[in-house]
Amino acid sequence: MAWMEKSKVDKAASVGNYLGLYLGQGQGVRLGESTVVSCHAHGRMPEKRVKGQIKIFTNRDAGKCFLDFVDEGQVVHIDVFHRPGEIEPIELAKAIFWALNQYFIVKDPQLQYAEDERFKITADYATRIFVTTGMGKGTVYNLMQEKVEAFGQTDEGYDHVHILAQLQKEEYYLVYVIAEVVEEFILNNELKLARVRNITHGNQKMEEESYAGYMRLPWKKLKGQNARQLPDKENVNQLIIKLAEKFGGVEEIEEFMENYSTNILKRKGIEQQKKKWGDIENDLEQLEELGILRDTMFGKVLTKQGQALKDFVLTNKCELETEIRRNIRKMPSGGKGRYKKLGKSESKMSSVELTNRNRTINNPDKNWSGNLAVPETIIQAKKNSFLRGDDHLVIKKDDLHYYDKKTYVPVDICFLIDASGSMAGDKRQAACFLAEHLLLSGKEKVAVVMFQERTSQVVVPFTRKQSVLKKGLATINPAGLTPLASGIMTAVDLIKNTRVKNPLLVLITDGLPNTPLWTMDAKADALEAASKIPEANISFICIGIEAYRQYLEKVAEKANGVLYVVDDLNKDNLINIVRTEKKQLQNARQ
Amino acid sequence: MLPFYVLERYEGNEALFNLVLMSIVSTYAGEPLHVHAEGLRGTGKTTIMRSARGILPPIERIKGCIYNCDPYDPHCPQHRYLSQEEIEAIGTEMIPMPFLEISHSAKVGTVAGSIDLARLTDPNHPEAHMLPGLIPQAHRGILFIDEINRLADTSPEITDILLDVMGNKPGHLQIEEAGLPAVEIIVNVSVWAASNPDEDPGPLEEIRRQLSDRFDMVCYMGRPHSVDILSNMLAENSHQKKTRLYKQRKVVQVDESKNEAYRQQIVRWAEQYDKTELPDFLRNFIARLYIKHNLESIRAIEAMQQGAVLRSLIKNRDKVQIGDVTETIPLVLKHRVDGDTLVRIINDLDTRGSKEGILSFKNRKDKKKEEEEPEYFQHDARSLKDLSRGELINTEKNLTPTDY
Repeated sequence: MAWMEKSKVDKAASVGNYLGLYLGQGQGVRLGESTVVSCHAHGRMPEKRVKGQIKIFTNRDAGKCFLDFVDEGQVVHIDVFHRPGEIEPIELAKAIFWALNQYFIVKDPQLQYAEDERFKITADYATRIFVTTGMGKGTVYNLMQEKVEAFGQTDEGYDHVHILAQLQKEEYYLVYVIAEVVEEFILNNELKLARVRNITHGNQKMEEESYAGYMRLPWKKLKGQNARQLPDKENVNQLIIKLAEKFGGVEEIEEFMENYSTNILKRKGIEQQKKKWGDIENDLEQLEELGILRDTMFGKVLTKQGQALKDFVLTNKCELETEIRRNIRKMPSGGKGRYKKLGKSESKMSSVELTNRNRTINNPDKNWSGNLAVPETIIQAKKNSFLRGDDHLVIKKDDLHYYDKKTYVPVDICFLIDASGSMAGDKRQAACFLAEHLLLSGKEKVAVVMFQERTSQVVVPFTRKQSVLKKGLATINPAGLTPLASGIMTAVDLIKNTRVKNPLLVLITDGLPNTPLWTMDAKADALEAASKIPEANISFICIGIEAYRQYLEKVAEKANGVLYVVDDLNKDNLINIVRTEKKQLQNARQ
Repeated sequence: MLPFYVLERYEGNEALFNLVLMSIVSTYAGEPLHVHAEGLRGTGKTTIMRSARGILPPIERIKGCIYNCDPYDPHCPQHRYLSQEEIEAIGTEMIPMPFLEISHSAKVGTVAGSIDLARLTDPNHPEAHMLPGLIPQAHRGILFIDEINRLADTSPEITDILLDVMGNKPGHLQIEEAGLPAVEIIVNVSVWAASNPDEDPGPLEEIRRQLSDRFDMVCYMGRPHSVDILSNMLAENSHQKKTRLYKQRKVVQVDESKNEAYRQQIVRWAEQYDKTELPDFLRNFIARLYIKHNLESIRAIEAMQQGAVLRSLIKNRDKVQIGDVTETIPLVLKHRVDGDTLVRIINDLDTRGSKEGILSFKNRKDKKKEEEEPEYFQHDARSLKDLSRGELINTEKNLTPTDY
């Protein structure tokens, strides 16, 4: 038995090495005979005569298309193919969990005696492994607690166990452990393993992100179809909302379209557009398919339909902006909890008290003071006198009614956004979206400070106006270095010089400081600047990525704040973090 | 206020005019239809809803019954146990269909009910008695709430009551007052609401999701884009026109006769509504939509059925057509599903030719099915455990035969 276990460790290590090599090159492999492993999405190739072949879609990153990650290559996609049949996800998750647990003992016998430690390690992996079978899906961790998400129409898993594991390169050996236990589980369920004859690599036409496939624009005539007013309008609206999600707002859509107008002087190059909005090729493709754009000698230009769309945007600007704002207000639903919180936030908050004239309370034990609600008190007294049988009106202590009080803790938020080159594209968009979401869904003021190259500047002073915010955000063009110290100082000065309530400073960064402010050491300067934050009575949170955790932890500590480590800086993560933090601050009031 | 018929109709507000008529017909026939108008400020949501007050048909109630008891189906604590003869002895009266408004200074007592002060303070016969609030008084009529998003934010207690009233058809209400027995009654009230999702505190579904789902239909108002319509509106609303016309009394008569025509029409439609059934194939079709698109709330498809029938009525047709269902879909679903799903549903219905027919789900090629062909693989793979280390990893290059 022992040698078998030992050989498993060897096999796993060797698989880990190979995977490191091949996955690093963007290739996928067949592991054993029925498992396909890569960092991309997989699919069948029914169009080819050769059966049993699996295609690896090199243009579709697994983390990006299944789990909404922004950065590529973070997720390993493991498909174990089997004869179609029922695989119970909860039992499978348990099997994976115990297999990992067991494997750690064999690999490191010391862990045998450190049960807690071992359990912690395994549980950590369990939250990072996502399993789908034909009967349900969820992370191993959630499935173990019987929290199963339903298998959806678009999910994979009908003839294979679909696993997404967020693993670092040096953890790739676990792929073998997972694949082995899944195969064993399938066989124990009396199902047969399918043989993958061959794998190929290639591009897939984006179907998931394609909206061109199901939208019908009124300007695109379809054969034998009567145009209907209302549905058409819904379609156009939805297209604009899709574009707004990508570009940010109506004005940005106009700006984007301007790049494809016939006036060559107004057009900007694709690289410049990408810097601002991230990867736009998919959208260009979609728009071409919808007949909005057309290829010509001078590059892509708007078609007649495109012109019509542009006119539609202009005439319906008010309605569209409302719709877009409504979308921004929407709370994120998915992608919860993909972040770690380090440190504790403690602060005293001041609250604002308001009288609620719609509600009165009658609590004779507690209340002798407050805003007396005269009509309610008299009515109560009259009623009670009647019930008591008094012969005239008597007001007693338990008749007294008071107006209810609402307390409300305003938290004004200042965003400190890293605008260095690495933040370009999707990350910039996510940070901007966050600022807009908070402005629209709350009652407090929002400010934005960005730091870039050698300096930092206030792009949006504390405001409640969306137009001011939008204008400011539009000026953020990520490029250059990361002067964190200067950024912090600008933000602290801004907060000190403005009358704000319970200020919260939110730092969003994907890197480390590399431009100093006072000395020659950028990191030390940033720490020094961070220590000024608690002096000014400012609450602080920092949102950063795992790779720079150690340093950012120090920053958070100096600033007496909290560090959130995310797997990537996407909208949902950011919004969830800031919302929970804000709520905690509001509950922590004294 | 301008009478209903004078108000300008254009593409953006047509849906609301239809909804208002549908809701009145339905309410008159005894089944509430809750309607919510959302849109930019100043697009006439409130104006249209308030002016509909003028065309409400009269209803018959037991004389003096503040709960608006139907003589043939009394429900209030006072009349519910009376025999038909006793009711006849009390007599009946015609009153206009109630149209009441919940304002922002409303309190639970005024909305649901509270102790009757006048009777309590009666110097001769002081009595503790329940006075029904706005909701029970609006039985068999309309309850209008302007800026409902604000109400849901500031008065969660009133919102809870509304949830109860709008939860079922007919709704349910319990009035409680310390020292008196609780009164439980049914209420058949259509709630009409208006709000601007863009103003504080934001759209209703973000503030109280449940309440937004309780509305059968939501209408998104658009602005007018035509110069003619706008100048007509200005003319109708000008001070000069109003004062000039009201000096000649004539116009009041004209208005009244137009409103009367509406009323008669509504009564006719309501009679027809009792008789019109949704054809089975459409019912099936709606049920399949629910399954296929994973809709959450069954209220949605119930509203679809109710809406489709009512729509066919106000378009003066005696049969419900597929078009009635498809036109209702955006109104019923827009506040319940996200935009993408809605567009998918709409286009799913729309794009197939007449040959295939939108109702035949059967003949459609199911792409997914094709992919799931079970014989794609040979099921004879060896497991990882049985493989030697050298056989574990295979790349595309290894696996592709090179011997030709």
